[in-house]
Amino acid sequence: MALLEVNNLVTEFDTDEGRVRAVDDVSFKAEKGKMLGIVGESGCGKSVTALSIMRLLPQPMGQIVAGNVNFDGQDLAHLDITEMEKIRGDRIGMVFQEPMTALNPVHTIGRQLTEVLLLHKNITPQQATAEGVEILDKVGIPSPDVRMGEYPHQLSGGMRQRVVIAIALACQPDLLIADEPTTALDVTIQAQILELIKQLQSDMGMSVIMITHDLGVIAETCDDVVVMYAGKVAEKGSVFDIFDRPSHPYTQGLLASIPTLETVPKSRLSIIEGMVPGLMDLPAGCRFENRCPHRDDQCTTDLPQLETVNDQHHVACLKWRELGGHTT
Amino acid sequence: MSDPILRVTDLKMHFPVKEGILLRAARFNRAVDGVSFDIKPGETLGLVGESGCGKSTLGRCISRLYNPTDGKIEFEGNDITHLRGKSLLPYRKHIQMIFQDPMESLNARHTVGDIIEEPFIIHKMGDRAERAERVRKLLDIVGLPARSVTRYPFEFSGGQRQRIGIARAIALNPKLVICDEPVSALDVSIQSQILNLLVDLQKEFNLAYLFIAHDLAVVKHISDRISIMYLGKIVEESTGDSIYHQPRHPYTRSLISAIPIPDPHQKVQREVIVGDVPSPINPPSGCRFHPRCPQAMDKCKIEAPELRPVTDHQVSCHLDFEQ
Repeated sequence: MALLEVNNLVTEFDTDEGRVRAVDDVSFKAEKGKMLGIVGESGCGKSVTALSIMRLLPQPMGQIVAGNVNFDGQDLAHLDITEMEKIRGDRIGMVFQEPMTALNPVHTIGRQLTEVLLLHKNITPQQATAEGVEILDKVGIPSPDVRMGEYPHQLSGGMRQRVVIAIALACQPDLLIADEPTTALDVTIQAQILELIKQLQSDMGMSVIMITHDLGVIAETCDDVVVMYAGKVAEKGSVFDIFDRPSHPYTQGLLASIPTLETVPKSRLSIIEGMVPGLMDLPAGCRFENRCPHRDDQCTTDLPQLETVNDQHHVACLKWRELGGHTT
Repeated sequence: MSDPILRVTDLKMHFPVKEGILLRAARFNRAVDGVSFDIKPGETLGLVGESGCGKSTLGRCISRLYNPTDGKIEFEGNDITHLRGKSLLPYRKHIQMIFQDPMESLNARHTVGDIIEEPFIIHKMGDRAERAERVRKLLDIVGLPARSVTRYPFEFSGGQRQRIGIARAIALNPKLVICDEPVSALDVSIQSQILNLLVDLQKEFNLAYLFIAHDLAVVKHISDRISIMYLGKIVEESTGDSIYHQPRHPYTRSLISAIPIPDPHQKVQREVIVGDVPSPINPPSGCRFHPRCPQAMDKCKIEAPELRPVTDHQVSCHLDFEQ
């Protein structure tokens, strides 16, 4: 069952050069108790999608101009902002990429953690502190009672990210949105944090939306995947659909271009030619058209719609049938 | 076997930590603490480690952006450890650097043409027309259009900027290029373009690379040999395949098992190590990895292990690998 349904979401930004459409007609579902990955390169709109769901778009530049976000019977896209504040931090938690900027440097860990508890729960400050210590312990922070009185700069990057996760999970949300939660961390710390998120997810039975550019992280943690390119969904499906039967040339190219520990050293990596088009001058047809090895005339004029490969595997490519959905 | 182009012996770089009202250096940040290795002409040595392990400091010592505290750096048999000013200039030509963030390492107020031409001016090479011709050629080599000459760095994407940085680095036909995280700021589809370019350039100009990165998969792709660094010391060195298939040091093992594999069928058995990297200002006694090591013994807390040969590896660990 879907906990969160994003339908035809369109988000635009006012910039000096004019209005740009950062998210264009994006739809996906986050199933209850599952992990959904949103993967794409910088500027593909994955973070803006998350900010739109959370209604945290920079104001007044960022606007949701169409579509809806269905969360447990409520449309978050059109919800009154005070109602939204009740959901944010309580039923939906968010983890950001850079834990140093996500935490307030002049407040103690304890204050930032209890703030969310006091806001959403009807408890005394003493109870909040006790609960805070418990949560810090749960996310694997040693001597949590001491840490409550410390400031963010006194913690290492990995510990800070654990604090951010603790704050996001304080009210036991139904949904956790993690925006590049491990990108700023070292691999051994990344492994610890991913392990922690997976374990907390199964303990608490929550849904997670994992936003990342790292296909390794996706393969390892997610059940379902949405591949975004230049503001649009290029392909979506189960993690096995995406990795075993990628049907969009972009997904295929992406998977083929990453060096793994198995590739022959100094062999030629397959590449995706060129680069992502700017949001100001998007092509009329397929957004990937200028880089696609399989393009033809139709691709430059016709905008591909999402088509069904099998029940939950969808792809937005005019030629996916001809390509047969194999990895290159 | 050719002679090494670069030999580093017991190199140390200690930064003073200034404290108190008098700003006296009572303690030192031992960023690089006794590192030795060779690089042969045309070879790539990969240097892997987590943030704060001293890998970038090591690269900057070798390019002599820093003055090392102790140890020896020999380039083609000449000791360059303590050279300063003009006497360093001839070596600067042979040892070049590529940095992680091309936006920060390129002067935003100079055109791309000026940036790539500057090395020729510093080293007084060619007249104006010759230099312009070389710049045009370099742009072609790194795959940028000739019209880039009059443009500014901000007009380019991240991958293209890195190509500008590479063009500048290879302008003087260096023998050794120190690549400090050259692809970590780039998107995956661009990363592979730059890696291919680096491999091509190496073949064409017989460049030696010291390739510094934290992504073991990227390093393994480009390197002939790999050194793993932890808290200012090298803990293991071997060929890429061997490091990956038979890691000996417990740190190398956990590093390799921590890499997320882009294959949903492969569920890795993690050797997750606990805790964080300790501070290099006050490193742990004995083996620096012992507080996080799952196999630490009493001896590890007291005695620092030396690098010793184990089959085709160099490993610095007290564990008995012969069993």
